[in-house]
Amino acid sequence: MAHQAHSYHMVDPSPWPIFGAAAALLTTSGLIMWFHYSSMYLLTLGLLSMLLVMLQWWRDVVREGTFQGHHTPTVQKGLRYGMILFITSEAFFFLGFFWAFFHSSLAPTPELGGLWPPTGIKPLNPLEVPLLNTAILLASGVTVTWAHHSITEGNRKQAIHALTLTILLGFYFTALQAMEYHEASFSIADGVYGSTFFVATGFHGLHVIIGSSFLTVCLLRLIKFHFTSNHHFGFEAAAWYWHFVDVIWLFLYMTIYWWGS
Amino acid sequence: MWRNLLALRQISRRTISTASRRQIENRVAEKQKLFQEDNGIPVHLKGGVMDVLLYKITMGIAVLGTGYALYELTVASLPKKQK
Repeated sequence: MAHQAHSYHMVDPSPWPIFGAAAALLTTSGLIMWFHYSSMYLLTLGLLSMLLVMLQWWRDVVREGTFQGHHTPTVQKGLRYGMILFITSEAFFFLGFFWAFFHSSLAPTPELGGLWPPTGIKPLNPLEVPLLNTAILLASGVTVTWAHHSITEGNRKQAIHALTLTILLGFYFTALQAMEYHEASFSIADGVYGSTFFVATGFHGLHVIIGSSFLTVCLLRLIKFHFTSNHHFGFEAAAWYWHFVDVIWLFLYMTIYWWGS
Repeated sequence: MWRNLLALRQISRRTISTASRRQIENRVAEKQKLFQEDNGIPVHLKGGVMDVLLYKITMGIAVLGTGYALYELTVASLPKKQK
């Protein structure tokens, strides 16, 4: 069996990149079929194949790292760079929506009544559920840090409790936001206020769900003894992502919910 | 006296567990052995039959779906018959 004379990971040939590209094609063309021809078959195939590719690709990364030992310190450094770059790209993604919000709200047009919130819009009270949601996400930031410390100290039971609590707080946030969406007196179709509000908070909510899923996978791996006290990058990546989601919410709360009300 | 000593020996070797009955055991070593076996199988199929099944299903959806997408694209780009 040949051994490598370097600390990098030369991966096995894998079908997931090209199947992932096919899934992206099916999902995007599926959206077109849904919007213009009211057919959901292609979109369903797209989302299904996307889910299958993600599950198998990330399953393979766990196998390569935890079971095959390919994640040397050099490889881990690369993974860290990768996660940081990805989160940075997501920050730019949200920057666009904040730009759109400020574009419309700093100089409200006569059609809106020359004021913000526009005439006829009754915004949500920032001191009610949105404030509770802020407290929930801040608390979840504390619990995920608690979980991290428990992992590095080798305290398995506490780590499981703290991570579980973090995930539950995430679910609580999502449930409250869903209720708020249902109860709001305005919809996405209510002019530029509705558009900016629901697109920005909607994408944030999607990221909370993604973050909660990532943390749940980490919980399962934690229970199955995948993490050691000094090698648990998957958990760190999830924690970074979760903190990012929290920070985006703080910006959303301060600008759209509070200043914009 | 000797019987007490033997009993004490037995008790002191009993696994200490304060957890409830159902407890997850550390099975990582078994997984490591499975995935490090020198059989030339790539990592995405190395787990066994389920891997192959899941791979075939994913490939099926991707290939058939791409074909369907190209078909719909062709139909959409053809001019509609005017009466």
